[in-house]
Amino acid sequence: MADVELVTGSRLYAGRGAFTRQRYLVGYALLTPAVLYMGALVGAPFFFSLYLSLSDASVGNQVARYVGLQNFFAIFQDSTFRMALRNTVQFTVIAGIFKGLLGTLLAFLLMQEVRGKKLVRALVVIPWTLPVAISALAWKWMFDSQFSAINWVGVHLHLISGWPIWLGEPGLAMASVIIVNVWRGFPFGAIVLLAAFSAVPLELVDAGKVDGANFWQRYTRIVVPIIAPILFVGLLFDTVFTLGDLSIVYILTQGGPLGATEILPTRALEIGIQAGALGRGAAISLILFPILVPVVYFLLRILRRREAL
Amino acid sequence: MSGVEVLRAAGAGAALAARRAQVQTLRRHVLTYAGLAPFILIAVFPVYWMAITAFKTDADLVNPTVFPFWFHQPPTWQHFTYLFQHTYYSDWIANSILIGAVVSVITLLTAVPAGYALARLGLPGAENLGIGIFMGYLIPPILLFLPLSKIVGITGLIDTKWALVLVYPTFAVPYCTWLMSGFFKTIPPEIEEAAMVDGCGRLGALVRTVLPVSWAGILTSVIFAFTLSMQDFLYSLVFVSVSDQKPVPLGVATDLIRGDVYFWGSLMAGALLVGVPVAILYSFFLDRFIAGITSAAVK
Repeated sequence: MADVELVTGSRLYAGRGAFTRQRYLVGYALLTPAVLYMGALVGAPFFFSLYLSLSDASVGNQVARYVGLQNFFAIFQDSTFRMALRNTVQFTVIAGIFKGLLGTLLAFLLMQEVRGKKLVRALVVIPWTLPVAISALAWKWMFDSQFSAINWVGVHLHLISGWPIWLGEPGLAMASVIIVNVWRGFPFGAIVLLAAFSAVPLELVDAGKVDGANFWQRYTRIVVPIIAPILFVGLLFDTVFTLGDLSIVYILTQGGPLGATEILPTRALEIGIQAGALGRGAAISLILFPILVPVVYFLLRILRRREAL
Repeated sequence: MSGVEVLRAAGAGAALAARRAQVQTLRRHVLTYAGLAPFILIAVFPVYWMAITAFKTDADLVNPTVFPFWFHQPPTWQHFTYLFQHTYYSDWIANSILIGAVVSVITLLTAVPAGYALARLGLPGAENLGIGIFMGYLIPPILLFLPLSKIVGITGLIDTKWALVLVYPTFAVPYCTWLMSGFFKTIPPEIEEAAMVDGCGRLGALVRTVLPVSWAGILTSVIFAFTLSMQDFLYSLVFVSVSDQKPVPLGVATDLIRGDVYFWGSLMAGALLVGVPVAILYSFFLDRFIAGITSAAVK
């Protein structure tokens, strides 16, 4: 009796082993196309870009030589690059703060139960859903030196004096590209926050109420811990998008006037493609990497922790 | 106090409370709308400005003496007819649609199987592989465009729309793999187990039982493959400089400017005609998009 059971048991086990092996085989086969595609067009180029940054590769030159860290020394000698680095940080931080503030305010307004809420939501997300190059063009026309719609309103409401040339003066040009980035990004912040709030189970808040927690305690002890990771994910995504985006600056100012709105992406394009210095261009893009690494690290940590639950 | 008086007082109290609640609701509505109004204005104004520019005559556009936000000459289609008769605009639209369609197919063929494998098969290391694929979404194109220009150069696709067909899946695949994997997790395993008991292989079960109930996820993936392709500017700028091969956003931004002169009427017409449908399509699926990138944080 015991023998029989033992035999069937082990047979069952063997069968399951083959079954599992087959399942793994199918699984890895199904993953292969995606892994290969990403490996060939993201992974390989990334390492190739590390190699390029250490070489004197250029568009015309087929044989690249290893030059060590020369490109990195050279780019730090370039005052336009240093300006681009400073502008990138300034642009990302200032725009991030405004997007956070406006997004939070909008999220609280959208949480109110009012009539026509769906329509309102559909309208306020327009900046995020329009293709970025297209909205940048619309803004370029609104900042036009002669027919600026913004100036027309400002002058007629007596909010601005004179006729500012938005894209022609350094400070104003920087303000302009920040305005467009904020305009594009605030709905994203708001929608992420809304999603976060809808994830707060109301029973938990009610339980807190029953246990005698006041509004502030309920907010800081129950609501914030639940929405914080989601908010953080939104913030990190937005930072990745903003750091890597060149279209707004490229279309509005091309980095000008006098490099006032030059950011790392536009500088990398100028040096790497327009001037044809691939190696040096790759070095400029890679400067973004140390800025991105902590962002991506935190993002993945949150994603991984949640995945495990 | 008689019983009648008590009742009457209670009735009056209830009416008062109802009135107060009404007033409160009204006040909340007014305050909320007042707060939302500037946001709506700011969000919508650039689109309105695009639209009115697209339909104004050139003379009307550059008349500085009149109120710019309305027509002073009858609206005109001239900017739209100009786009279709004298520029590559119709080619750009065809290119964008073709690119979006092929990118969707490539994305589905890679992301659906990968999402399924990650969600369902309990593979060792699946979590790391999934995160590895998702990393692709977090490495911005700006880090990759220079090496990719070399790689695309080797394939001989440079200056054709096929270069974009090749590279756009790099942002659609990671996102859609993540999305489909989340989607497959919500489908009860019993239905494919039943199919397998009935003699289907695993792949047969996937095709016959799981895919038919996943059309919502698949449709969402297609929409995102399309809209993510339309959001790109950098790759098209770097890889395609031949006019009739450009997708719409690049064509409008680079080809409608002659010398230093911007033809705002046709520029805005071209931007509007494609921007608005894309924005509407995207906004229908926006909640899914946000849920997709934050889902891991919600669960």
